[in-house]
Amino acid sequence: MTRLCFAIAVLLLLTSAAAIAQQGSTQHAKVELISRQVAVSPGKHLLLGVHFVLEKGWHIYWTNPGDSGQPPSFKWQLPSGFTAGEIRWPRPERLQPSKELVDYGYDDEVLLPVTIHVPLAISDRSAEFAADAKWLICREVCLPEHASLHLTLPVSSSTDLNQQHSQLFAKTDKLIPQLLPRAWNASAASRKDDFVLRIRAGKPIVKAEFFPLDPGQIDNPAPQKLQPTSNGAKITLKKSDLLLKPITVLRGVLVIPEGPAYQIEAPVRQPIQ
Amino acid sequence: MNRRYRFILRMCVVLALMASAFAVKVGEPAPGFTAVDSTGKQQRLSDYKGKFVVLEWHNQGCPYTKKHYESGNMQRLQKEWTAKGVVWLTVISSAPGTQGFVTPSQENDYLKTMNAAPTAVLMDPGGSLGHLYSAKTTPHMFIIDPNGTLIYNGAIDDHPTSDQSDIASSKNYVSAALEQALGGKPVAEAATHPYGCSVKYKD
Repeated sequence: MTRLCFAIAVLLLLTSAAAIAQQGSTQHAKVELISRQVAVSPGKHLLLGVHFVLEKGWHIYWTNPGDSGQPPSFKWQLPSGFTAGEIRWPRPERLQPSKELVDYGYDDEVLLPVTIHVPLAISDRSAEFAADAKWLICREVCLPEHASLHLTLPVSSSTDLNQQHSQLFAKTDKLIPQLLPRAWNASAASRKDDFVLRIRAGKPIVKAEFFPLDPGQIDNPAPQKLQPTSNGAKITLKKSDLLLKPITVLRGVLVIPEGPAYQIEAPVRQPIQ
Repeated sequence: MNRRYRFILRMCVVLALMASAFAVKVGEPAPGFTAVDSTGKQQRLSDYKGKFVVLEWHNQGCPYTKKHYESGNMQRLQKEWTAKGVVWLTVISSAPGTQGFVTPSQENDYLKTMNAAPTAVLMDPGGSLGHLYSAKTTPHMFIIDPNGTLIYNGAIDDHPTSDQSDIASSKNYVSAALEQALGGKPVAEAATHPYGCSVKYKD
């Protein structure tokens, strides 16, 4: 009898030592904190993610929300010695509430990965992660929502991936803008009312969309005029009415439809006075 | 004056009016308008030449508008600045059936309940005034100087959240701009990125 009790106790302990996640379910989104790996490995980066599953028709926002809205933000509570990096934003979608506004965000489902830096020395057998998540979710109206997310992971030398979430992390990885290939080049020219972003890629680019990282530089609703060139493309981006001073760098994401997304940091050449 | 010349001149005037109607840039003339307020009175921007005018885009259901009204922040600003001779025009561009749309009497009740003190509330359910100014969010703030020049376009303050608790530590761009302008100084931060819910335009 005692052996059976002991066995049950051990079983319970083992299952509880495995990943314990807590979800937040708010009015229009299911939100959970998940991990790519099954365990925390001392000295090795851990990839966590906040996974949003949105009710049909509702959307949340990118780091630059565009003309309206507010991006999600997380306040982390981590074990001693652990630090959280920035959100790795997958490429956004273009949302157009009316002809006056264009926003950038996500609908349906999105995983926002965050790298956690893990110290070399961990005294506990398990690590508890908590995040206070806040976000704005909109359809024809906007609602501020929040959730307290929790995740407990065992500490071990295992670098095994969590089978349950591996597909989601892999899919998301492809949506995160990559660095511009070494052989490519991005630069911009500032004209009176617009910027001309020039991409040199070694081959023509026939279709691409630019998402500005910094608000107040580009006029979001204005159509982007893309002109393919023999070795890339020239994209004309109307300046925002709010842009009063010259900028030195135009930052953003260039999305090739059915293709990769690239991080753009284009030095801006001012017009010759 | 021959006919062709007169025609060209007329077309130039039309184009000039159109061009000025689409410019909402700080430093340029603010677009003129005529609108009806919540008491049924016609209001023209030109009626206020010689005064500073604040335009405040508003949607009473939007969490960002609520942040400034439920805290009393917007009402405080309205009272402070209208007492100093500034004209404060709240604008509602929500289309019928959308959040923020109210009938004039509903708006007048809201003003009483909230103890709000704008000079007038302009009813713009068709959205033409909103489109004229390219108003994007609620709130979205504009300030026009006594000469009719736009001197501020953007956010109400520097904390783009819907949390009332952020107001105390926020820099209010509207007050800063009015203080500088009324003191004869140039506005230091004249164009900022407005935050809030999207204006609920018709179509």
